[in-house]
Amino acid sequence: MKVIIVGGGAVGAAICTQLARENHDITVIDENAAALSELSNSCDVFGIVGNGADLSVLQKANAEKADLLIAVSAMDEINILCCAAARKLGTKHTVARVRNPKYSELMRFLQSEINLSFTINPELEAANDIYRLLRFPSATKINTFCRGKVELAEFLIEENSPFCGCTLTDLRHKLNFKFLVCGVLRDGKTYIPSGDFTIHAGDIICMTARDKEITQLFKAMRVYVNPVKNVLIVGGGRVTYYLLSLLEKSKIDVTLIEKDPALCQELASTYNCTVICDNGTNQDTLLEAGAAKADAFLALSPIDEENAIISMYAKTLDLDKIVTMISRISYVDFFKSAGLDSIVSPKSSTVTDIVRYVRSIANANNYSEINALHRILDGHVEALEFSITNDIENLTNVPLKQLRPRAGVLIACIMRGEEVIIPSGDDYVAKGDTVIIVTTGESFDSIKDILA
Amino acid sequence: MNYRMLIYLLGIITIIEAALMAFPALVALIYGESAAPFLITMAIMLLLSLPIVIFKPQNKRIYAKEGFITAAASWLLLSCFGALPFVLSGAIPNYIDALFETVSGFTTTGASILTEIESLPRGILFWRSFTHWVGGMGVLVFMLAILPADNGRAMHLLRAEVPGPTKDKIVPKMRQTALILYGIYMALTIALFIALLCTKMPLYDSLVNAFATAGTGGFSVKNASIGAYQNPAAEWVIASFMLLFGVNFNIYFLLLIKRFGDVLKNEELRVYLVLCAIATALVTFNTLSYFPTVGDTVRSAFFQVTTLLSTAGFATANYDLWPSFSKTILLLVMVIGSCAGSTAGGLKISRVIIAVKNMFRSVKKTIRPRSVNVVRMDGEPVPDATLHATASYISIYFALIVVVTLLISLDGFSIETNLAATLATINNVGPGLGAVGPAGNYAAFSPLSKIVLTLTMLIGRLEIMPMLILFSPATWRKG
Repeated sequence: MKVIIVGGGAVGAAICTQLARENHDITVIDENAAALSELSNSCDVFGIVGNGADLSVLQKANAEKADLLIAVSAMDEINILCCAAARKLGTKHTVARVRNPKYSELMRFLQSEINLSFTINPELEAANDIYRLLRFPSATKINTFCRGKVELAEFLIEENSPFCGCTLTDLRHKLNFKFLVCGVLRDGKTYIPSGDFTIHAGDIICMTARDKEITQLFKAMRVYVNPVKNVLIVGGGRVTYYLLSLLEKSKIDVTLIEKDPALCQELASTYNCTVICDNGTNQDTLLEAGAAKADAFLALSPIDEENAIISMYAKTLDLDKIVTMISRISYVDFFKSAGLDSIVSPKSSTVTDIVRYVRSIANANNYSEINALHRILDGHVEALEFSITNDIENLTNVPLKQLRPRAGVLIACIMRGEEVIIPSGDDYVAKGDTVIIVTTGESFDSIKDILA
Repeated sequence: MNYRMLIYLLGIITIIEAALMAFPALVALIYGESAAPFLITMAIMLLLSLPIVIFKPQNKRIYAKEGFITAAASWLLLSCFGALPFVLSGAIPNYIDALFETVSGFTTTGASILTEIESLPRGILFWRSFTHWVGGMGVLVFMLAILPADNGRAMHLLRAEVPGPTKDKIVPKMRQTALILYGIYMALTIALFIALLCTKMPLYDSLVNAFATAGTGGFSVKNASIGAYQNPAAEWVIASFMLLFGVNFNIYFLLLIKRFGDVLKNEELRVYLVLCAIATALVTFNTLSYFPTVGDTVRSAFFQVTTLLSTAGFATANYDLWPSFSKTILLLVMVIGSCAGSTAGGLKISRVIIAVKNMFRSVKKTIRPRSVNVVRMDGEPVPDATLHATASYISIYFALIVVVTLLISLDGFSIETNLAATLATINNVGPGLGAVGPAGNYAAFSPLSKIVLTLTMLIGRLEIMPMLILFSPATWRKG
């Protein structure tokens, strides 16, 4: 596909790197020539120096013939403007990053004029990610599929877990509801387990179950901690703003520490929460705000280093859930290696979402469409969500036990209408279903490719 | 420094050369000559490179440094292997001479140490001219075109080999850029080949002359170069195509995608064509008395100007005997050369334009120290980094000319000969003036001078930096 990316900052560069690896024709527009030359040195892309909302620059980038324009420059206005211009020139799809919440209504209002395929708000995405982590505090990562109806959760199996030493068949007899272990990460290697696979301590397993039964599953694993009732948040930025409205709905008590009095004033007048105007990097302030007793601790200040340091301190308090927000994508791995496991990064969420969207339009074909693609278990395994748009020989309406899939491929979940099916041998895939496929091997474009 | 990847790339380059050598071997068989020199060389190359290539390196990251070193090292390696058939066949028994001839071929210089060309086997002469064609667009570009690009950083390779101050891709993907460049190159070569056949030049001669013209090399299979054919039509064809191959290949791509506005806006192209017209006119007036008709004078002047401007180095007349005004003009166009991104050598028109504009800017700045002046090219401001790079390139270029001229002057030729030999090799022209003029050759130089000139040709083709980096101690220090 011919892709134009406006903005070569952290997000633009990360999208570039990923899409270039997937063999798309990429043109990047940015006003910073040095950043562009750095980018075109490290991946196979074409750089144009200029403003993305400049018509001559867009023409130079061949927007007439482009399949997709992704606007991720620092300014919302430019992003919206260049998407509108590209549409008018003939670009097929446009994606804009719009961060200002005030614009989201405007975007709906102007939908028919601008015709954006997709807008993305990184802070809102990050708030959603955090909210999901708070609902299942024991999971290190949760991926959602089928518009949030199906969840794949990743867990670390601890020494004292009742799952230790069990085979999957044992487990299925022990528990009286359906679940599926889609993948296991052990010593850096991944397995798509079969029934006689034995789980050891130290494994990270990725599993799915129906929304209602997933809490039962946690209980059975004895990793279920009580649902979060009160959280302590440090930092009152945009992510906090979005998160507070989600937390308010689920009646979770919030204590917020923020330095800026104006911001405190604004948040306190919008939401029902305890706002403390103080420096969150002060140990006394944290303890006074109840850090030692909080169910969850969220470090959401705009300074990555501060977040990392106070999260490490929170770890010493033995809290159940600690979430650290990191803006610089390159920091994520450093902090993971320092033992912070629940890291949320608005920028990398944006990248993941956009790349997922690009894949879904790049891979649309007659049989199926990819709706979503997640990399799970440290990126070793891909989970793809397909919509089946047509009947396929040897696949649709055939019971799963009679299917001959490729090695390393698993059908993790079938969604028929509003019903979620955790498949066993007698279930089948039908036209109109949405299915989630987990694969360790090469990624594929069409649902047909899962057959051997 | 990623040695493993460097060696791997060199292995691939060697395999490509072995494959390319199949063509002269085939020609040798067709004309009933022994293909053994080629086959033996191919066997040696494959034996050495296959074990290297089988194991792919894990770490494929290369940076600017590796890019430059790969470029320089692969050109040296190509030449070392490429010289073997000349030695094995006995055409050029001395290895240093053979290396000189091969480097002269790959760098599209066309400087020869051979005094008697016509008696050599056709397969060998084919290889000699074919090296021009291969070297014209570059081997690394060829490698990028045929290999799947699994490495985003391979841009460094393209940058190290394609001539000119501004190097950019013409389409987002590097592999496609390389394919388009080679496609244009091949199409133009075929057009030239057919045009030469139409002028009734023999098939074999048309082919080898097409190769030598396309790469703007200048090796001929006749002792008297293109003049030997006594074929005015062929001279016009070759002169026009030399002019075409001296144009930045991006221009042809712009024409293909019908962006005519951008072509007209291109300053380098306009200066190039105007320069060619003025030089031809001046030489014509200056040499009117040397030829029987005005038509002959114009043709000869046009041919000599294009051959030296495009740095091909063919000859239809012995311009060494012309008035010194004409000779000076020819030396000047030799130094200036053609457009960036073409197969030609020289300083490149765009560099000269930038340097001249920068000169005027300095003068203005001196008169009014607080004035803000911006150098513009094709209507767009030239970044200061490019201005500095151009200035330093030109100073290194002239410094090298001084050093090389000094080194070869040990052989005791005239100053004119020495200077012309240096200019003719660093600009990849071939024939110079005096003893190395169109009627002479480089055979009389000492082995030391030949090695110096061999390196000078490589320095000129790769635009100085890669070779300097290869031989600079700082490169090989750890860290």
